[in-house]
Amino acid sequence: MADPMSSSDKIVVSGFRHFFTTADGDVQATDKVDLTIRSGEFVTLVGPSGCGKTTLLKAIAGFIRPTEGTIHCDGKLVQGPGRERGVVFQELAILPWRTVRRNIGHGLEIAGVSRAERDKTVRRLIELTGLTGFEERYPHELSGGMRQRVAVARTWAADPDVILMDEPFAAVDAMTRLTLQEELARLCAATRKTVFFITHSVDEAVFLGDRLLVMTRRPGRIKAEIAVPGRASGRDWESFTADPEMQGIAERVLKMVREERGAALPSGAPARPVGALA
Amino acid sequence: MSTALAPSRAAPLAAPAGFLRMFSGFRVLLPFAALVVLWWTIKIAAGISDEVLVSPATAFAAFVRLVDTGVLAEYAGTSLRMIGACAVFSLAVGVPIGFAVGVNRYAARSCEGFLRFLQGVSGIAWLPLVIIWLGLSYKTTLAVVIYTLIVPIVFNTMIGVRTIPENYVLALRSLGAGRLRLATDVYLPGALPSIVVGLRLGMGYGWRALIAAEMLVHSGGLGDLIFSARTFNQIDRIIVGMIVIGCLYIIVDRLIVQPIENLTIARWGVLRK
Repeated sequence: MADPMSSSDKIVVSGFRHFFTTADGDVQATDKVDLTIRSGEFVTLVGPSGCGKTTLLKAIAGFIRPTEGTIHCDGKLVQGPGRERGVVFQELAILPWRTVRRNIGHGLEIAGVSRAERDKTVRRLIELTGLTGFEERYPHELSGGMRQRVAVARTWAADPDVILMDEPFAAVDAMTRLTLQEELARLCAATRKTVFFITHSVDEAVFLGDRLLVMTRRPGRIKAEIAVPGRASGRDWESFTADPEMQGIAERVLKMVREERGAALPSGAPARPVGALA
Repeated sequence: MSTALAPSRAAPLAAPAGFLRMFSGFRVLLPFAALVVLWWTIKIAAGISDEVLVSPATAFAAFVRLVDTGVLAEYAGTSLRMIGACAVFSLAVGVPIGFAVGVNRYAARSCEGFLRFLQGVSGIAWLPLVIIWLGLSYKTTLAVVIYTLIVPIVFNTMIGVRTIPENYVLALRSLGAGRLRLATDVYLPGALPSIVVGLRLGMGYGWRALIAAEMLVHSGGLGDLIFSARTFNQIDRIIVGMIVIGCLYIIVDRLIVQPIENLTIARWGVLRK
């Protein structure tokens, strides 16, 4: 943070404050977020639901314009979406009328990459994401976990500099989620991408992140920053749960997030003992 | 014992496959057959004269005569050409309008009520005015049928565009897609099932409007055929015309519109909810 624009800084968010206009007036989503993501880093952001983490990700993606503050990617001001910033959504983002192969190759198709070149990249990603044999299937023929693999592969195939992931595994069943997280760690190791990953799962944030950020309740700002030792790519869930250091980090983070959740309870009304409401 | 049972078990399973198909064809035709039986029974039992109601046999003879002389082909051809031309035109104009309205949230909100209003004022209700404007010519029929067809197409295209998940659009924009790409890769295929629904509804309404308009405009078509037959009390012609009108609608719907629907919607699994 000392040097605001070093060459390895990929994404720099400074003084990001955002307001939404709703029927009940303006709602402040975030409060002065400052954040730097360095090249090749896997940064996870964890926070209570509704804390403004999706707002932050959408602003970095260029889907919304910050009410206040600026976002730079590679020193250039972010003014809209761009193919150097890929996004993986929680759900409903791959196109149901395209086969697995054509979904994954879509970014390259848009970029005007030749068919042969496209097929090569797509084949490699299909292998990396374990989708072999499903190339010609339509999304409705796949399980939720496989659909998310397609979404991840599509973003990776377009070869962006930065990948923004908005709770990509939240809608998947718990067992599949563990596998997908390990696969993502391996995929990142194979490709060395800069990743910004938001989640409300503490374990997921610690497991995947090189660096972990904790966000406060709404209006969200960065509350703490924790370096997670060791590359995420080397992790698997068995060794992760057996590692006391990792568990210690997870406990600390969980405590911080729970404080925010507790603080998010309705304030103002005086606390009453249970049963005294009548 | 069990090996002996196996083929005898398989046999009754194999036999009904062909039988069931025949039966399902029969099942579709059953109500029609019942109607003919009822018609004939009433005709004979009540001793109704041919001035009021002809028998199915007389109607069939009239059908053969109309086919032989080429009259039916000519009048039916006029109606089919009309509905075909109107469908093509309505799609070509209605889909872009539906898109333009659908992609803009404010335009969609302000137009929804208006489109519902237009849907309420049926094409037939426009006939008096359009006849004054365009006279008793095929132009009047065209205008009324296009109006009838285009409203559901615009409306359903708009709904189709509105119901495309925002993530499809956002994901593609972050893959570098521009407006044209979004239109061809997201909006058009995303709205297609809804457009086909609009076309199907429009064809249903449009066909009825066409027959009604032909009756009044009196310049060819099946509506004209049956309405003119009334002048000479040609009951047989009227009934044949009515049956042909119904059959042609089924053929157009089942053989043209529904296959399009099955091709796109069923394969993408959009209908499986």
